[in-house]
Amino acid sequence: MSRTTRTRTIRTDYLARVEGEGGMLVKLRDGRVTDVQLSIYEPPRFFEAFLRGRDFAEAPDVTARICGICPVAYQMSSCLAMESLAGVEVEGQLRALRRLLYCGEWIESHTLHVFMLHAPDFLGVASAVELAKIDPGLVETALRLKKIGNDVMRVVGGREVHPINVRVGGWYRVPTRAELEALVPDLEWAKEASLATVRIAAGLEFPELEQDYLFAALAEAGEYPIDRGTHVVTSADDVFPVSEFLEHVVEEHVEHSNALHASLDGKRYLVGPMARWALHRTHLSADALGAADEAGLEPVVRNPFRSIVVRAVELVYACDEALRLIREYEPPAEPSLAVVPTAGVGHGATEAPRGILYHRYRLDDAGAILDAKIVPPTSQNQRSIEHDLRAFVSAHAALPDEELRLRCEQAIRNYDPCISCATHFLRLEVERS
Amino acid sequence: MTTCVVGVGNDLRGDDAVGLAVVELLEGSLPDGVRAVRCEGEPVALLTAWERCDRTIVVDATRSGAEPGTVRRIVAHEQPLPDDVGRSSTHVLGVAEAVELARALGKLPARTIVYGIEGAVFDTGAPLSPSVQAAAAVVAASIRRELEGGD
Repeated sequence: MSRTTRTRTIRTDYLARVEGEGGMLVKLRDGRVTDVQLSIYEPPRFFEAFLRGRDFAEAPDVTARICGICPVAYQMSSCLAMESLAGVEVEGQLRALRRLLYCGEWIESHTLHVFMLHAPDFLGVASAVELAKIDPGLVETALRLKKIGNDVMRVVGGREVHPINVRVGGWYRVPTRAELEALVPDLEWAKEASLATVRIAAGLEFPELEQDYLFAALAEAGEYPIDRGTHVVTSADDVFPVSEFLEHVVEEHVEHSNALHASLDGKRYLVGPMARWALHRTHLSADALGAADEAGLEPVVRNPFRSIVVRAVELVYACDEALRLIREYEPPAEPSLAVVPTAGVGHGATEAPRGILYHRYRLDDAGAILDAKIVPPTSQNQRSIEHDLRAFVSAHAALPDEELRLRCEQAIRNYDPCISCATHFLRLEVERS
Repeated sequence: MTTCVVGVGNDLRGDDAVGLAVVELLEGSLPDGVRAVRCEGEPVALLTAWERCDRTIVVDATRSGAEPGTVRRIVAHEQPLPDDVGRSSTHVLGVAEAVELARALGKLPARTIVYGIEGAVFDTGAPLSPSVQAAAAVVAASIRRELEGGD
């Protein structure tokens, strides 16, 4: 007796609650996954092309425009690249201010994702607005947390989005002690709210999925990596200097997407909160670790749906770290160091909220950019996202289409994908045969 | 009564800037107690702008396919914004979401009016289109009457 082949297609044409424009397509034949595509249809952005010919000093302000959520990451990675080429090291309080600005961005970005973009998936509501109707207190906490992150960025960076105070070599103006100290009461509130957030996140219901990840994160001696890192380390004990990043990480174009797909030494890998947690958790603050312990977070988290808990732990750390940096702040005598450009190639990488952000620039001897290469976290994670989708759909193929589609979207949001950054990146389609 | 007039837009994106243009036309001639704020449409900034206000008037560009310069006035404290107003933002959330978020949180000013002005050109670096520029003047005059008449 012949039997009919059953094809199912599950698709989301326009994925909500991610930054940028993309979609998803999953195809099943007789309950088996035959294809998974994360398609990024946001138009190509050509940032690397129009950096050519610009002055090296313009790179932080130009590249900040790649993303409204993580502009500081772009500014910091580009500054580090230019400074490494010029042989300048920004240390002491100038560097501490960079880390403080970056903490502001982590607070703002993690809050947005944990509460507004990801929590609705767990709580069965369609949006932050719907969430506000069932739990206004939660949304008010989120709005205040985000505002505090924004305030840190405004005080240190001059503006909430696309800060204007960052320059190669340091700052245009450094804040006074009083300006930073004014942030302390709000940051202390933010820390308590973050601790509560870890407890709330830990109490959510997590779909079952255990994945074997190769984690990669920056490493900086004795620190939880945020604003810089000398090396990349992986959970397979690979270690290489940031300057050798492109010898290990290869991006390739795939037909279904305007974003590039990256691999590390030929392998699928993962960057971001789960990688930083697995590789560097011992460098977190005592209270962040305590909250993680209380939340039952294991040393290596393999269920990507639990990334929301890790992100909340990082939120605690970002508040602790911001408070520490403010406590120890002494205004530097000069707001910046002189940076004299030389011909050559400079590399810089930082830990954006979503993971490693790598920049490489080649300059001529007058400091003009000859070519630029930017590898954002989302393109590094894209293969892992598709791999998670494949594994999740395979294990849960019996779910009805609509529920499967919602769970797939949730699986994508586990990564807090920033499509705008990755475009060179989301619609969801599940196609069942 | 505390009132805040909020112009929403991006002045580098052609007619998207019309909300900002309306605020510019009003500034300097606003009655006492009325603040004017420029904003890119990010919801936290919008919620902050009209915090503790009894009345807010928000002006944003629309892209509904209507005739350029078409003006719509929505009484947002009584009804949600229509699908094609306040959602032109490429950001995660825009004016419509900010209004609904504020409504859900009980933080929407008692009088919330949203003007939508239909744009024609949203290209990078483009100036305001003549019909949109004209509509900005009409809306500014209308807002001034609203503020003076108490309606």
